[in-house]
Amino acid sequence: MTKIKTLASEIRKGWAGYLFITPGYLAFIAFMLLPILFAISLSFYKATFDISARQFTGFGQYILLSKDLIFKQALINTIKYTLVIVPLTVLISLTVALLIDPLGIKAQSFFRGAFYLPGVAGGVVLSVVYLWIFNPTYGLFNYLLGLAGLEPILWLATAPHSFQAVCMVVLTFTIGQPIILFLAGLAGISQDILDAATVDGASNLQKTFFIRLPMLRPVLLFVLATQTIQVFQLWEVIYMVTGGGPFNSSTSLVYLIYQTAFIGGNYGKASAIGVVLMGIIMIFTLAQLKFWRETDV
Amino acid sequence: MPAQIKKQDALRSAMERSTRFISYTLLTAFAVTFLLPLYWMFTGSFKLQTVTMAVPPEFIPIHPTLENWIRLFTGPWPIWRWVLNSAAVSLLTVVLVLIVSSLTGYGFGKKKFPGSNILFFILLSTMFLPNQVMLIPLFLLVRYLHLTSTLLGTYFAMAMPMISSPFGIFLIKQFCSTIPDELLDAARIDGASEWQVFTRIVLPLLKPALAALSIFTFNQAWNYFMWHMVLATDKFQYTVPVGVSIISRTPAIGKMLTDIGITMAGGSFGAVFMIGLFIAFQQYFIKGITFGAVKE
Repeated sequence: MTKIKTLASEIRKGWAGYLFITPGYLAFIAFMLLPILFAISLSFYKATFDISARQFTGFGQYILLSKDLIFKQALINTIKYTLVIVPLTVLISLTVALLIDPLGIKAQSFFRGAFYLPGVAGGVVLSVVYLWIFNPTYGLFNYLLGLAGLEPILWLATAPHSFQAVCMVVLTFTIGQPIILFLAGLAGISQDILDAATVDGASNLQKTFFIRLPMLRPVLLFVLATQTIQVFQLWEVIYMVTGGGPFNSSTSLVYLIYQTAFIGGNYGKASAIGVVLMGIIMIFTLAQLKFWRETDV
Repeated sequence: MPAQIKKQDALRSAMERSTRFISYTLLTAFAVTFLLPLYWMFTGSFKLQTVTMAVPPEFIPIHPTLENWIRLFTGPWPIWRWVLNSAAVSLLTVVLVLIVSSLTGYGFGKKKFPGSNILFFILLSTMFLPNQVMLIPLFLLVRYLHLTSTLLGTYFAMAMPMISSPFGIFLIKQFCSTIPDELLDAARIDGASEWQVFTRIVLPLLKPALAALSIFTFNQAWNYFMWHMVLATDKFQYTVPVGVSIISRTPAIGKMLTDIGITMAGGSFGAVFMIGLFIAFQQYFIKGITFGAVKE
């Protein structure tokens, strides 16, 4: 009884807190929580353009998906995109950040800004110019390949190359953000530790491997998590550059959601794909969280 | 002895100079590679169609022409309308995100009330969910309410999925925890109401965080391509990225070929606003990215 009373009085005392979070929380419920819950419920229905005529099918959509070859391809591609793009992004941005770090303030901010520019311009703008660069007859890439004595490649029309093309476009704008994060992390390493290492005769390379990289670990984990989630949601470059083709070789889960829902009007199926994607991201995030905790001694 | 130290110093500075040279060279090579697409687009906008298809390509336009830009500005596309649409949607999103995030972030950061932890956890757990999932129900809602039949409705619909920003709330909450409680208590003792404490003391202190959040949100809203494309049905509703993509898919008149020149002009036009904003507010962009991720 007294417990309930103290809780009631605490709630009364906390009135200001409730008031402050109310507008934001209502917006969150209306524009995020309810839509997500509604999408989950839609995945149990056969729902097309006329949403009021939807039919409950239980796990029907999921069973259909398990036999759907395009879905399987999209799922495999999404994982492949992640396995290719995320490590390359981390490797390139870490290298670039380590190169920028020792420079003067002006040079630092110049290069940091330069590498972030493509990200500011956005995926659509970059895709538009890459379409020209990838052109098999008058594109820049095949010209450069020719200079190197290599055969021209039908970048967007043949199977492994359209996937590679998407990866290249995406890499252009994913490295900017990690570079900024790594630089901030590097700036946070205390100069005393580095000086002490210098006194002990450590070379610059040794300082990088034994001091800088270990101290960047938290930033690295953050970058890995955010980049993976971003690449899981890859679609606009695919839409712009390859249209998922040829023969679905470059499609992704989100691109499939877009096609299924907004072109095909099959909201039930699209929601089911979305729930699968949500599940993958959740498992991944939890696994990473666990890994993070276990290795953080 | 001193001679030996001198020798060592000379060796060290020589090594430093050579590593500096190598790192500058490497960096420049990286920068050239990653900026090449933007350079190619910008210079391409000053090339005639025949030049854009020439092999070998012209790395610097030998006879630059304004033809593409003139066609872009006088053609059938309402490009300034797209800029207006993008600016309106992005600004509306920023205003709504600022209101929601500052109030809610402060509530979670500085107020103690039963259930605050669990409520915040629910909010945060949606931060990493793919937002394409909720676009389907939101699209059905927009269609049901006929929101896109009016201009203001379209702007609001385009801003809708970004209003409740778990990231923004998280950021403001983190920032609020750096404000000392004594400061707020002192104001309360002086007779300030809860609302006055928030508007007169907390908000001014939040300014740097709000600035970073604004610029970050503006950029995100500007490039929210999928949602804009799903909602915009006629060319007066397009935002800049939608317009750029449509131009790139429109073949040259009387030909089956992509009109590369005008596409590059359109792309450059589309990129120039965000790039300008970035150059003007670089420090806020960077703060928005590093907040919460890196301890300072």
